Amino acid sequence: MIAALGRWALTVFARTGRASLMLLAILAGLPSVLPRPRLLVRQLYSVGVLSLPIIVVAGLFVGMVLALQGYTTLADFGAAGSLGTVVALSLVRELGPVVAALLYAGRAGSALTAEIALMKATEQLSGMEMMAVDPVRRVLAPRFLAGILAVPLLAAIFTAVGILGGYLVGVGLLGVDDGAWWAQMQAKVQPLRDVVNGVVLKSFVFGVVANWIAVFEGHDAQPTSEGIGRATTRSVVNTSLAVLGLDFVLTALLFGGVR
Amino acid sequence: MPDVPDSPAAADSLVRIRGLRFLRGTRVIFDGVDLDIPRGRVTAVMGPSGTGKTTLLRLIGGQLRPAAGSVVLDGHEVPALRRRELYALRRRIGMLFQSGALFTDLSVFENVAFPLREHYPRLPARLLRTLVLMKLEAVGLRGARDLKPAELSGGMARRVALARAIALDPMLMLYDEPFTGQDPISMGVLVQLIRTLNDALGMTSVVVSHDVAEVCSIADYVYLISGGRVVASGTPAELRASGSDWVGQFMHGLPDGPVPFHYPARDYASELLDGGGRS
Amino acid sequence: MNPSRTVEVLVGAFVMLGLAALVFLAMQVSGLTSLGADAAYRVHARFENVGGLKVRSPVSMAGVRIGRVTAIDIDPQTFQAVVELSISSRHANLPADTSAKILTSGLLGEQFVGLEAGGADAVLKDGSTIKLTQSALVLENLISQFLFSKASEGRPETPAPAPGPAGQP
Repeated sequence: MIAALGRWALTVFARTGRASLMLLAILAGLPSVLPRPRLLVRQLYSVGVLSLPIIVVAGLFVGMVLALQGYTTLADFGAAGSLGTVVALSLVRELGPVVAALLYAGRAGSALTAEIALMKATEQLSGMEMMAVDPVRRVLAPRFLAGILAVPLLAAIFTAVGILGGYLVGVGLLGVDDGAWWAQMQAKVQPLRDVVNGVVLKSFVFGVVANWIAVFEGHDAQPTSEGIGRATTRSVVNTSLAVLGLDFVLTALLFGGVR
Repeated sequence: MPDVPDSPAAADSLVRIRGLRFLRGTRVIFDGVDLDIPRGRVTAVMGPSGTGKTTLLRLIGGQLRPAAGSVVLDGHEVPALRRRELYALRRRIGMLFQSGALFTDLSVFENVAFPLREHYPRLPARLLRTLVLMKLEAVGLRGARDLKPAELSGGMARRVALARAIALDPMLMLYDEPFTGQDPISMGVLVQLIRTLNDALGMTSVVVSHDVAEVCSIADYVYLISGGRVVASGTPAELRASGSDWVGQFMHGLPDGPVPFHYPARDYASELLDGGGRS
Repeated sequence: MNPSRTVEVLVGAFVMLGLAALVFLAMQVSGLTSLGADAAYRVHARFENVGGLKVRSPVSMAGVRIGRVTAIDIDPQTFQAVVELSISSRHANLPADTSAKILTSGLLGEQFVGLEAGGADAVLKDGSTIKLTQSALVLENLISQFLFSKASEGRPETPAPAPGPAGQP
């Protein structure tokens, strides 16, 4: 029993160590991506553009539901004019970055893991090494960089679409005053504290973590079909847990002191 | 065919392996292997499955590090090389993987162009095209340049991988099980390609395989590996004529002999009488 | 169009869309537009108590927003609150005897500074101070005032729990 626990702890330590070393190698390899924008563009396409539909649709619905739910509560207090504030603040501070990161893990992170794991299983990474091409720089670094650029952009799009979705329901359907919607929102949402801290900073951190996990799980996968499946599952599960856990920490750090 | 030396030591050797020891986990793969790969020749490394023949190629290419012993390639001690030196050395090594390891998202042309593009980013497009078509012509697949790897047969994929491996004109070619899973025709093509490329481009070739007939038809010198050490070596003719039981069993493909048919187990009768009780 | 060109165009569109979303969040959602979008001048007003007024609270006149609160501080001598108001230069003709009140929008709404024009010929300039001010209404003070005044009336009625308009504060 204790031996099993010790073995498990050792495995966890070893994985953490390998993941950290790989992150360092990727960071060292990032400069080599810059002179080759084409590599980056290809990856931005597969992680960013292809994630766009799910992000837009999900954002729209999340915003619409928020407005619907918020309205029933706010209307009881005669404060339906604050609906815009409620929708915008929840999206900008929490739901935008978090849900966008979770959707990203499911849509792009899993694909990233599976792709890298399959390249490993079919000896493509090994082949690259033997062609004197470092797979960390040629395969992992561009994907990682594209991923951490894509996540904040996707989170911003998700948030903006969500607010527009809330606007459609709140103003269009429930009859909240158009002026009040925007004015109250503008009075309460602050550009630095909410937009930069929430959408930009949080989703940047989530982007680093999501892509780090995705790339690591792919590279660390057992090169068998079962191993690829396991790695893909692990990538999504670990990213989701990490994002939710980090969200708590980040919220406490960024917004905990305010009010 | 060039004249065959009696022993590789007589020729100038490109790869010199001494006292090689390698463990995978706690399992001993190699235990004191000594091996010489003569320059300009086709050397075969044969042995039963699971004896770590592929591992040997990875040790030569520096992808794995030995627990002990030395691997000297063209005067460089491979395990001691720094990353940069190792990558510089690998530019002069071509390796043909068992699976081909083609990049599935690139066309045949782009696959062969890959090492050229990576190492010579400023190569003019016309020159690149000429080089790639030359390599594809050498393996007879110039007409397949726009196909994707998924559209190729197994034999064609391996020939494309071969074209890619020789794209940088390596001094050393490593072949990992080049004949496995090939139909007789593509097998014949590959056998011929390995020999002609070696002689025409002045390369040194190492073929890892357990296909005795094919290997014997092209190899100048053969090492037999089993149980983590070299058990026999010599020209194909010498090995065939060898008096050793083990070598005889392997070279002639007999089902039983010094290498038992059965994986080590308890006595058959006593295990059956045991009735499945865990012991 | 060749495929790699399509990829480039789509990626470009994606990046532009993301940046546009960020701009939308900054401008439309958080109202960055009204900050320094047009020139403004600053005036000060002293209050006994600013209540729930905050930096960036609106400044309005006759219900129209004409500026924002840019700073709230304490005067070290008088211990009064000093509120700095930034008023759009389009409204540079406010009379010097304009008065400022801290008002609440609705019962539970946010607090803002309401200006009421006076009749003087001189106008407020950058750096001038508004003399006439009325502090925020603090609910607790109101209630205790009400209770004390009831008490000093000689208890004609039973001292029932104060029927404050806001119920429990």
